[in-house]
Amino acid sequence: MTCRKAKKFIPLYAGDDLRPRLGAAVRAHIDACLSCRKELGEYRQDLTRLKTAAKAESVPDWSEGEWRALAARFKPAAPGEKRPAFLAQPRWAAASVLGVFLGLAVLAMLFKDGNLGPRKTSPAGEPSVVSLTLVSQETGLQVVWFLDKNFEWKGDEN
Amino acid sequence: MVLSGRTEAFEPLVTPYRQPLLALAYRLTRNREEALEVAQEALLRAFRSLARYDVSRSFRNWLFQIAANEARDRFRKRTREKAAAENAARHEPPYSAPEDGRARQEIRSDILQCLAVLSPREREVFVLRDLEELEIKETARTLDCSSISVRVNLSSARRKLRQAIRDNFPHLEEGR
Repeated sequence: MTCRKAKKFIPLYAGDDLRPRLGAAVRAHIDACLSCRKELGEYRQDLTRLKTAAKAESVPDWSEGEWRALAARFKPAAPGEKRPAFLAQPRWAAASVLGVFLGLAVLAMLFKDGNLGPRKTSPAGEPSVVSLTLVSQETGLQVVWFLDKNFEWKGDEN
Repeated sequence: MVLSGRTEAFEPLVTPYRQPLLALAYRLTRNREEALEVAQEALLRAFRSLARYDVSRSFRNWLFQIAANEARDRFRKRTREKAAAENAARHEPPYSAPEDGRARQEIRSDILQCLAVLSPREREVFVLRDLEELEIKETARTLDCSSISVRVNLSSARRKLRQAIRDNFPHLEEGR
């Protein structure tokens, strides 16, 4: 390892933060290099001093009033205030539910009239088969004639 | 107890961490009032999301994670507001905002002044790894980033701090 490369890793090596394999390579170089060893010593000293200064530094603490005011807010929501579980879901979940609901509504409207699926119509939109029902007033007999679009007779049914 | 629904047990649970949490927030925000707001919000968020707490994890580190996220969110918001204010101020005579004065007053300790040379991410990494002594892996988890990112930022932070000590805080270098 060159000095240039070792110096790149010294800040991390100083805090034992390199992966073991890389750490071993840096250690091998530092053992043999006075300049890098000196730099490592300086980094370690700086780190120790910063940590010592941080420990000695006075950091703010809560006043009892601030803490009591906060602790008073550690309360579960009252039963009346409790939100329904579905409202606690993320927005995308609510959007998915709404999407499914809308999809079902559209499908229900399409199927409502039973006019989904192939229609018995010619490409021009006219019915391809028409039927004519004849009913005898005397006997009540019914005869149904089926005719194509050219009024050609296609069959009957009693 | 708290996880089983006894919310009155939450306060005794977090009491041991109240000071470390505030200290962390203070080092991240470098402002006492803002640190207090960050710590308060972090504890309230923790209370509300207790059901999502992974019991295999250190509770302290989980609280630290929430506080670091809160501090970062506030920093971003403040940066946006500051940019908007600067935009607006281009057409107005300059004045000294009271917040600026307060911020200057807050930055008083050597550590806080040293931390000022770091970027927000470097500061988070340095505070968690070197001052709070979290492992690299745990630091990465707390900051929701990779171990590589932690190492890169930590290396950069130590380099900048070393330079800052030499340039501005020789008394720290001399161990005074």
